[in-house]
Amino acid sequence: QEFQFGPCRVEGVALPRLLEAFRTVKETMQIQDNITSVRLLQREVLQDVSDAESCYLVHDLLKFYLSTVFKNYSHKIAEFKMLPSFSTLANNFLFIVSKLQLSMSRLNDSAHRRFLLFKSTFKQLEMETALSKAFGEVDILLTWMGKFYRL
Amino acid sequence: MKNVLHWNPPESLRGAEVTYTVQYFIYGQKKWLNKADCKNISRTYCDLSDETADYEHQYYAKVKAMWKTNCSKWIETGRFYPFLETRIGPPEVALTTDEKSISIVLTAPDKWKTNPEDCTISMQQIYSNLKYNVSVYNIKSKRTWSQCVTNHTLVLSWLEPNTLYCVQVESFVPGLPRPAQPSQKQCVRTLEDPTSALK
Repeated sequence: QEFQFGPCRVEGVALPRLLEAFRTVKETMQIQDNITSVRLLQREVLQDVSDAESCYLVHDLLKFYLSTVFKNYSHKIAEFKMLPSFSTLANNFLFIVSKLQLSMSRLNDSAHRRFLLFKSTFKQLEMETALSKAFGEVDILLTWMGKFYRL
Repeated sequence: MKNVLHWNPPESLRGAEVTYTVQYFIYGQKKWLNKADCKNISRTYCDLSDETADYEHQYYAKVKAMWKTNCSKWIETGRFYPFLETRIGPPEVALTTDEKSISIVLTAPDKWKTNPEDCTISMQQIYSNLKYNVSVYNIKSKRTWSQCVTNHTLVLSWLEPNTLYCVQVESFVPGLPRPAQPSQKQCVRTLEDPTSALK
């Protein structure tokens, strides 16, 4: 099983395992998000992403999740007893990003615009709210990544 | 993608004339929306398939109960994601045989539509990487094997003549685990080997 994000190929990640990891924390996470009128990974960010864009976009998104969402939300993770799921997601995101970096040469403008749209929506929210919303939308992220998943 | 909200009547009001009202919400949008034909209803379910037809959105639904002049608070679902949570039905399976092979033609299931007049959307259009798991059972040898198939035709070769084989097929999307729903088991017999009649 592998991801084929356009020119970038990542082997050895079991997407069902990531979805299962999120499924076990989905309810706890999404209940924290009471600003349901805002969606970070909105249609304009993820719809009709070309193969060429996909590598850059998934790289930017996963890197953001690692450096901002997971990093700043770890205090809540322990509180909610979600460490196993959290580490499965974080370790696999880290692995994917490391593999993507090897095959990326230069910036892709349209992918970057999509990422900036996601990031600007995130920044408009209060930090704690934005963190729990982003974590609660991991199913949207994984489902989109599933479109590039091959057995 | 047939999405029906179900609920249980209030424990304390079993048998009483209770009515219910349902609303739904699209995650990322602004307000709760009414479902016209689920307002003041006495049944305990509401088909929200049309309202949740855009499978890439995520949804909430809520219901409240009314009895005489009393009204309960809203009870809300979790966030529902049709694209990830829907159960994909089995494909249509057509079998044709000759002496030593069975040809299988698969047709992807269609997306559920409330109104038959609506245009038909194949689940293949929604899940471009939809695949099939074909299971084959040899009645004589009692041997079963299965094969993962991407396209819609498969020929099972090197079979035994004049033997009954049963076939069952499941649709699945790589990476997005969900409960499988196999097709009806279909059994066909391979033809007699004409050369064996001459011996």
